[in-house]
Amino acid sequence: MTRTKPILMAAAFAALLAGGAASIAASPAETIAARQANFKKMGGAMKALKDELGGGADKAKLLAAARTLAVTARMQGGLFPAGTGPSSGVKTDALPAIWAQKPVFDAAAGKLVAEADKLAGLAGSGNTAAVLAQFKVVGGTCAACHRQFRAED
Amino acid sequence: MSTDAETVKVWDPFVRVFHWSLIALFGAAWYTGENHDMDRHRQAGYAILALVLFRVFWGFAGGRTARFAQFLKGPGAVLAYVRTHDGETPSDGHNPLGGWSVAALLAVILTITLAGLFAVDVDGIESGPLADWVSFDAGRTASEWHEGVFKAALAVIGLHILAIGYYQVLNAQNLIGPMITGRRDRAKGEAVEDVTWSPVAALGGIALVGALTWMVMTGFRFG
Repeated sequence: MTRTKPILMAAAFAALLAGGAASIAASPAETIAARQANFKKMGGAMKALKDELGGGADKAKLLAAARTLAVTARMQGGLFPAGTGPSSGVKTDALPAIWAQKPVFDAAAGKLVAEADKLAGLAGSGNTAAVLAQFKVVGGTCAACHRQFRAED
Repeated sequence: MSTDAETVKVWDPFVRVFHWSLIALFGAAWYTGENHDMDRHRQAGYAILALVLFRVFWGFAGGRTARFAQFLKGPGAVLAYVRTHDGETPSDGHNPLGGWSVAALLAVILTITLAGLFAVDVDGIESGPLADWVSFDAGRTASEWHEGVFKAALAVIGLHILAIGYYQVLNAQNLIGPMITGRRDRAKGEAVEDVTWSPVAALGGIALVGALTWMVMTGFRFG
């Protein structure tokens, strides 16, 4: 718990830098590739959490996956600058609705960060029921946002 | 069994129940998959797995016309059938071409089901019962197979329906009725015997497939 906060803050700072840098220097293709890699990482972390919660519930593994999720979630908000939607010509499942309703999207991205932080705070507690409950809340934020802003694959 | 001279029993009850339940469950799996109803989708998948595993078992231990050895013929026999069949002489069970259609149907549906066991959705939240044995990337690949082979299955099923329509309309051969009742009209002077099957083999197969499916459902973790 005590170590989580500074790590997350450092990650937030890094994400800010990364996000800022992306909007200045990166091409749409690079930005899209970066956020897709991050989403994949988060998918992997979600799977790791799910596997542990359905099996051994290893505290260290839960904590590592939850931190990966929280740290990576922070980077995503900044990786949707204008011009990185389908109109960029790069293959992406990001829907134009993201930019048409940017405040709604940003709020959803913020909700993911907040819920992922809560999960990272709980993951090492050994309270499997609580971790599972929060895991489902985080999964709900993924699904809610994807329904609205991601093309069906 | 009846030795009615007018008709002959060509399909044992397990082949028929398998056939019609598979249609219903395939539809259920399709519908629940499209609607993200994943709990029910998994249940439909387990039922399909059990059915197809039983059908494979029955391909070795079932009634005469259920057996792979009876209906999977070499390319020579298939070609000969295609060249010479008059559309009127009924086959004893699957014809040499239709037999391979059955094999193709079983192969695609079994592949979809097996891929589904390891599949992981893009968010890492929903997954098949064996997905925790593989990585996220492998699970995503399984998911792509699950969907890609599903499209192939739709094509094979379409072909299957067209073939039945062809026999029905152009050859006046009713293939659907016998798949329901088990019996078809006997051709003139045809000396084919009624299909028989072993209840012991059937029970053994059900027990085997039931145990295997249950193990898959628990993810092979019995802790």
